[in-house]
Amino acid sequence: MWKRTAAGRVLHFYLAGINNQNFLMRDRETGTWWQQISGKAILGPLKGAALELAPSDELSFGLWKRESPGGQVLAAVARDQKEYDSKWEAEVAKHPVVISFPGTELKSRDLVVGLELSGEARAYPVEAILKQSPIQDRVGGNPVLVLAGPDGKSVRAFASRLDGFEMEFFRKSASDDFLLVDSMGGSEWNFRGCAVSGSARGRCLHALPAIKDYWFDWRNYHPETTVYRR
Amino acid sequence: MDFLEEGVVSDTMAQSVRKSRSFWMMFAVCVLAATILFLIPAYIIRPFRYQSPRALVWAITIRQHAPFGSALAACITFLMAWVLWSRAARAGKALIVLGALLATGSAIMSRLNYFEWMFHPVRQPNFAPAGSTKLDSGEMVLALSFNNDARAYPVREMAYHHIVNDVVGGIPVAVTY
Repeated sequence: MWKRTAAGRVLHFYLAGINNQNFLMRDRETGTWWQQISGKAILGPLKGAALELAPSDELSFGLWKRESPGGQVLAAVARDQKEYDSKWEAEVAKHPVVISFPGTELKSRDLVVGLELSGEARAYPVEAILKQSPIQDRVGGNPVLVLAGPDGKSVRAFASRLDGFEMEFFRKSASDDFLLVDSMGGSEWNFRGCAVSGSARGRCLHALPAIKDYWFDWRNYHPETTVYRR
Repeated sequence: MDFLEEGVVSDTMAQSVRKSRSFWMMFAVCVLAATILFLIPAYIIRPFRYQSPRALVWAITIRQHAPFGSALAACITFLMAWVLWSRAARAGKALIVLGALLATGSAIMSRLNYFEWMFHPVRQPNFAPAGSTKLDSGEMVLALSFNNDARAYPVREMAYHHIVNDVVGGIPVAVTY
């Protein structure tokens, strides 16, 4: 997800090709070629430019609706409706990957959530997040909190710091609702990273841009990436 | 005198053969150029195949200049076809038609985005309120929110369209998947 403003112009993107199973886009205004995953202009008049990331989430509809009851949902395009049902992603996943990194920690089609902070890239296998949430870790020296949502599907990451203090979180047990408690004020925190009780009530952690991707793709664009393991 | 005239005649004939030969050469080069301008990028940028960084740069550089290059090549092809037509034998005429078709086809294909034939773009995104959307609660959506304008883009739709140009809370965004 990108803000589509570069060099002071609003751009309109369209699908223009594929590069090792990650798509290329071009903008109608300048004809520049961009790589979707990195937001970087690889050729054309704006070569070298980079789009600004628009913070986004990949959530289950139920969870999103609870969080944003007044939100708007992209309507299906009527003539393409039957294409949605053909499960493109599953079809694509059947094809062999064209780049792989044998000997690395994960398998090509393992899903990871990637974070980039202070020059360090780190990949969290989705499977590990779902099992171990909340994960407290460090990326580029910064404390981070990686969470699985109450739906057991959605994932979010936060800077685990409030007013300059590092925070520690625990899962609140014996609770139907998905809540964490912090070690300092004993506030309860929800999946949005916001405190709903205690001394920090009303405060929110800074959400980190997290990219959900296949391992081979993440590794391709982040050759120096480390992998979270426990 | 006779001898001299014969010499002049055979000279002009030789000249005309040479001229005709260079027209044919030009014709062939232009047909080939137009075809290559379309086919090379199409071949390199195809799904489920490895693209080396250098091949990719080549492919998109060619693709970028192909609309102009192939149109120019097609124009010269037609010019040559016009010049050659009257002196060409039957087989030659067939070659001219074939070449002209190839060049025209390539010039057209260089201007068309066949990726959008496979994955139709969303021209104008339309939205429905969360409450009236019949989507399974377990379905994944891409979620974005700016200035209290919250939007969800169902993954099943995005996995097909791949790109939606939208404006959320006044901010122009490209939703990609």
